[in-house]
Amino acid sequence: MKQNTIFQAAAIVAAGIILALVANAFASRDRKVSLVGTYPNALKVPAREVAVAPAPVATPVTQTVATTTQPATITVPPTATTTTQPTATAAIETVGLNPNAKKPAVPAPTTTAAPTPAPTREFNAHPDKPYIEIAYNDVKALHDKNVLFLDARRTSVYEQGHIPGARTYSVWESDIDDKVNKLFAERNDQTAQNLPIVIYCSGGDCEDSHMLAQKLWGIQFNNVYVYKDGFPDWQQHGAPVHTGANP
Amino acid sequence: MKRYLSHPWLTIRVQLALGAIFVIAAIPKIADPPSFAHMIYNYRLVPASLINLSALVMPWVELLAGLALILGVWKAAARNVIGILLAVFIIAISINLFRDNAIDCGCFNVADRGKTHEQRIFDMKVDVVRDLGMLLMVAQLWWAGKREPDEAPPT
Repeated sequence: MKQNTIFQAAAIVAAGIILALVANAFASRDRKVSLVGTYPNALKVPAREVAVAPAPVATPVTQTVATTTQPATITVPPTATTTTQPTATAAIETVGLNPNAKKPAVPAPTTTAAPTPAPTREFNAHPDKPYIEIAYNDVKALHDKNVLFLDARRTSVYEQGHIPGARTYSVWESDIDDKVNKLFAERNDQTAQNLPIVIYCSGGDCEDSHMLAQKLWGIQFNNVYVYKDGFPDWQQHGAPVHTGANP
Repeated sequence: MKRYLSHPWLTIRVQLALGAIFVIAAIPKIADPPSFAHMIYNYRLVPASLINLSALVMPWVELLAGLALILGVWKAAARNVIGILLAVFIIAISINLFRDNAIDCGCFNVADRGKTHEQRIFDMKVDVVRDLGMLLMVAQLWWAGKREPDEAPPT
């Protein structure tokens, strides 16, 4: 490659960098990204959800899985080591909102066997793990109790329809750390931080809610639940939906 | 055959087509950097600290290189930049195919299209073939550029 060509190629890249920075500086709130993102598991390939086909109708199986009409799914949770949770102040001051500061605990493998499990949970704080995945009935029970809901999807998607009362907390938008800081300021004592919070995104392989849960866990929110099947499941159950920019 | 492959009639069309493809590919990424950052994250190949920066810069480099090819300015440099980008895309998608990590490539559309694992894997294979095709276009431009001095009339 000629020296002139190398210089021109470098100029194209340099111009691209400058234009990108300028465009980002003037972008609207939901189109802007922070220059350095903090995403847990950025280099870790997610475990694939294995769909287990339902047993044939003729097979005399009496277990719940065989009687359901939907295929059961077995989720292999991410594995990591458990570390001691730092104090809230230390988390904010020394770690910022970096979820990598604390690794998630190893949650027990979740097996969704029945499509509508009964809400039997006690929603107590669980400081040893960043989140617990829950299904519709538990989510609905918490929603009826006016628990705080956070929508981790993009703001534009949130505005098209969200769970009533949910706040928009997209992990991909530049203001996420400000929002998390604001929430920390709202709930700045241990009792408030142990109140349940439900986070959801689009279900399926969407990880945004898990990422947000880890951010919150990193700053002492010890009672976070992830609505595993997310907003599509909420809609499928015919639950109320709110549209627009307001919760 | 060599004369046909380096013929200006073919070269100008390849140059315009490749430039247009890259301009078209860049626009949705420039319009929505957070979604493109999400796409890059899904590849699980870029360190967390570089994901947003890549999502911001890469589309602009694509746009400028594509425009340069269309306008016929700095053709060799633009061709080389596009060739490097294509090689990176092919390697990144191939690694994820090998790892069975089904992703949307984010090449022309950054919206999550809710595909199944199998659909995504199939699309990734198509993407690799398409990118290899574009790499052949880059090779044609390189070949034509290399022969240009030889075909210039003697002074």
